[in-house]
Amino acid sequence: MKKLILRWEVLLLALLALELIIFGMINPRFLRPSSLLFGTSDFVQVGIVAVPLTLVIIAGGIDVSFASTVGLCAITFGIANFFGLPLAASLTVGFATGALAGLLNATIIRLTRLQPLVVTLGSLYMFSGAATVLSGVVGANGYEGIGGFPAAFTGLGYAQMFGLPMPLFVFLCFSAVLLVLLHMTRFGRLVFQIGQNEDAARHSGMPVFRVQMWTYVLTGLAAALAGLLLSAYFGSARVDLGGATLLPAITAAVLGGASIYGGKGSVLGTIIATFVIGYLQQGLQMSGVPSQISSALSGALLVIVVAFRHGLALLSAIIPVRPGQTN
Amino acid sequence: MLNWIARDRVATLLLVTIAVLLAVGAAAPGFLAPSTATMIWSNGLVLMLIALGVFPVILTRNIDVSGGSVLGLSAVTLGLSLNAGFAMPVAIALTLGAGLAAGAVNGVLVAVLGVPSIVATLGTLGLFRGVMLIATGGEWIEELPETLKALGAKSIGGLSVMGLCTMVVIVAVWAFLRARRGRWVMVVGDNRAAARHLGLPVKRIEFLAFVWGGGMAALAGITFAAQIGFVPNQAGTGIELRAIAALVLGGISLLGGVGTVAGVVIGVIFFTSIDTALVFLKIPAYWNDLIGGAMLLTVLLIDGRLRIALEARDRAARYHRGEAPTPQSKTLEDAA
Amino acid sequence: MKPTLAELVSVSKNYGPVAVLKGVDFSVRKGEVHALLGGNGAGKSTLMKILAGLVPATGGQVQIGGAALSPATPAQAQAMGLYLVPQEAHIFPNQSVLENVCIGLPQAASAYRSRVKDLIARMGVTLRLETKAATLEIADRQIVEILRGLIRDAKVLILDEPTSALTPHEVDTLFTRMKSLRESGHGLVFISHKLHELRAVSDRITVLRDGFVVHSAEMAQSTDAEILAAMSPGVTALNDRVEGKIVSEEKVLQLSHLSGEGFVDISLEVHRGEVLGLTGVVGAGRTELAETLVGLRPRSGGEVLLEGRPFHATKPSDAVKQGIVHLSEDRQQYGLFLEAPLYWNTSSFVYHRLPFFLRPGREQTRFETYRKSLGIKCASADQPVNSLSGGNQQKVLLSKCLAAEPKLLILDEPTRGVDVGARNDIYRIIEDLAAAGTSVIVISSDFDEVVRLSDRIAVMAGGHLAGELPAGASTDAIGQLAFESKETTHA
Repeated sequence: MKKLILRWEVLLLALLALELIIFGMINPRFLRPSSLLFGTSDFVQVGIVAVPLTLVIIAGGIDVSFASTVGLCAITFGIANFFGLPLAASLTVGFATGALAGLLNATIIRLTRLQPLVVTLGSLYMFSGAATVLSGVVGANGYEGIGGFPAAFTGLGYAQMFGLPMPLFVFLCFSAVLLVLLHMTRFGRLVFQIGQNEDAARHSGMPVFRVQMWTYVLTGLAAALAGLLLSAYFGSARVDLGGATLLPAITAAVLGGASIYGGKGSVLGTIIATFVIGYLQQGLQMSGVPSQISSALSGALLVIVVAFRHGLALLSAIIPVRPGQTN
Repeated sequence: MLNWIARDRVATLLLVTIAVLLAVGAAAPGFLAPSTATMIWSNGLVLMLIALGVFPVILTRNIDVSGGSVLGLSAVTLGLSLNAGFAMPVAIALTLGAGLAAGAVNGVLVAVLGVPSIVATLGTLGLFRGVMLIATGGEWIEELPETLKALGAKSIGGLSVMGLCTMVVIVAVWAFLRARRGRWVMVVGDNRAAARHLGLPVKRIEFLAFVWGGGMAALAGITFAAQIGFVPNQAGTGIELRAIAALVLGGISLLGGVGTVAGVVIGVIFFTSIDTALVFLKIPAYWNDLIGGAMLLTVLLIDGRLRIALEARDRAARYHRGEAPTPQSKTLEDAA
Repeated sequence: MKPTLAELVSVSKNYGPVAVLKGVDFSVRKGEVHALLGGNGAGKSTLMKILAGLVPATGGQVQIGGAALSPATPAQAQAMGLYLVPQEAHIFPNQSVLENVCIGLPQAASAYRSRVKDLIARMGVTLRLETKAATLEIADRQIVEILRGLIRDAKVLILDEPTSALTPHEVDTLFTRMKSLRESGHGLVFISHKLHELRAVSDRITVLRDGFVVHSAEMAQSTDAEILAAMSPGVTALNDRVEGKIVSEEKVLQLSHLSGEGFVDISLEVHRGEVLGLTGVVGAGRTELAETLVGLRPRSGGEVLLEGRPFHATKPSDAVKQGIVHLSEDRQQYGLFLEAPLYWNTSSFVYHRLPFFLRPGREQTRFETYRKSLGIKCASADQPVNSLSGGNQQKVLLSKCLAAEPKLLILDEPTRGVDVGARNDIYRIIEDLAAAGTSVIVISSDFDEVVRLSDRIAVMAGGHLAGELPAGASTDAIGQLAFESKETTHA
């Protein structure tokens, strides 16, 4: 199994290299280190939510509500700031909103035992509705959003750490933590085993609900992180900040190797897939392709990649029957 | 009571809808008029068609979230071909063709290539929207001919042509699901392996369910264009989620194999009634999502808890009966 | 010679480079029961799936009623008069019994109502046509499958391990039905692991091993030793029980008047190092008792003492931490993590003892010791469980239980779907464990197995404890306890 995953990640890396080479040939400016580095600020938020989403998917769930959680957290942060709370307190409000959103999802899924897709679809609506209503409270309109942040905060969006732009730095740190958490700790082992066989996990005395809850809470927190980074980057908190992350984030997780049926996936794969998707959109734009086409292409990418992987699986399903499987 | 609510989902929802309508009527006089009924019907048409399209897909234990994009794509096909001077029947045929083709793409991905339907249709959701934008170059399509708008206007007995079409579709789906082949759709979702074991063409059934979904989305696209008279870029965005929500509300199980056409209709009407009532109560439109989402979650929560309570009761009853001879032991003794 | 109803001529099947069947000949004649025997992975199921059109053959011919099966689909095979009753009944839970039987037939279900009723009456069972299939018991589900075959006018019925989920009584009933089908000119293929069952009804026997036919003869002319030797050379019979074992007086577990879902007023005790056989028919409450003990089901009354101290688990992890480990009867659903590496499975009862930052090396070393002591055949600790045979999967599960170092181990049907060779190994492991001081409760419907393993036998019937028997009791004595009280409650 390990070998196969490794192979997939290597394949992804090769895909990324190929992509960079092609776009570099079309437009050499694309390969300049500064544009490669600072271009990431336009898409790392996708990766920030895609990485914990990978954990949710591996543990046998799915979350689509993060797309509105991003905006909701930005708005609660903006409102806290609007009412004069200190920056640290406002940030806490933002993160707490994200964690609560995740907790709400996990609790409702647990209480109803319904498919997570349905439940998070409902909260996708509710969170974006709540964000819209809340931003109406302080009289902000949809396009400008809530602004007036302290310079210390907006500066973060453009700050640099060790030569890396802040959003990229935050993304790499955050995903490194989750990489260790998923692949090297007891928690990560539980995430995998619960996704592989929830019944067996329950019979083995594993804390199924607690682990799944943490994956949703982590996704909520990541959505808050993405929302705050985007607010700093744009200088205002808007309801629709996360709307554009829904499809690319799921694409990144699936492209990275997560199985929608649970039990399989890798953080490293999701990280690489984030860059594949991000640079694809950027490269297309720099090559003069209209943004509509690039969005169609990323949809097509998801379809093709998944079809390819399942085509492979179909092929290998014919081969591996070792004795014992025939019964 | 508990039994009745859970087992007779459609009737419960109908009662709740009526209660909500009466409550709104009490708060906003003038709401309870026949014109409101036709308004709810015509407001709900697009959602109804999308829901009827996704319904068989969900019965086969798949899901289709690309409906909104197929709607947009077919509305654009209609608009472009009309504006290019094609006759109405030709344009409608092209539109339906576009919808069916889009459904076939989904069907091939899921039924032939074996891609999980949620992933496949999320992908095509983006893909079809992109194709639509490429076709229009990002422009809105306006100045659609009056002949098209006439399809969405009230004509016969307060109903539009599209409204009547939808009624025909509802009756057709109802009749189909009662027929022999209609059962096949139900049982594929109920137990796929068993359906294959009994020689049913499982893949073909799944494929056709997606094609049907595409066709219905195309009908929805025609209705959409006829009702509002132009095609914006974001036509149909998010409607697939509302359709799925309405289906869940109407008692259609996302685990496949369970659901009735009456459930689809009442689920859609409930959702549309709420939206229409909000307008009547002069609640600002930006509350819609919050109220809709909260309502969906509440319904899911109540429904889920009811189901669990019922299961617990059935279980207790079974173990209680276990102390007396079970039917199984009776068959044994009959044979012995 | 009776006419042949279905025939496979030098059929072979390859999955990629792996040959599963290598030129197998097999036939079913009119009015006979043909037994098909073989270890796990011998190719029985694949062979029958080819005959039923579920899997295409790589080479050779498939003929039903004298004509070639073409196209090779289940629908075509059914149309030609062959029906495969699978090991686990394929049920549409949300449809009625009638719909379940009639799905896939050329007319709507209502057209067949009277015929299905007629068939049910002829089989001598009671089954309401409107019942939702989800509520059916396992035995009734099997009847639905057999009805499906009959309504399709199948001349050939393949029964794939139909007895594995049935009680001895139900098995007898099934055999009566099989015999009456044989009398009416049907041809039957009967797959089973249990030799005495095959002997009870079969006319001919074919044994498969490694994709070859290694034995094919009239049943009456084949001795048990011959058949076993053909199936797995080296194993001639199940090892006998070691006599004269002395069990400690120290009580590890005491149940007094325990009640819960499906059982009432159970009082039992288990001594240190003892193997207690807990038996009875399916539905007698044995599994429910075990699951209640480890906290998977709620307890409604009574007390449990573990080593003299009150014990009450509300979730399985409580039980594991206090030394009671339970192995479910359904290993694929409740026991194994099929896609996970072997050593993950071994560690899965004791995840709470693993360090937060895992040390896979240590876990692999631990797996290695179990691999040696339990005789697990595998390539490496990293390979997924689903690449192992049924018997080896069961051993991996045992390693999972042993890693938890239990005081009391509850094994529910530990040898279901396991071939003779592996069964011997598992018996030995259980005996070694008991000798090392672990108390073991073995739940089994196979009375022979219970007699073979137990130091003491507790029999449950209808949710009650019907009685206790000493080691070496006869299977007849167990049968009397298991069924008698059922009849008295009925009367």
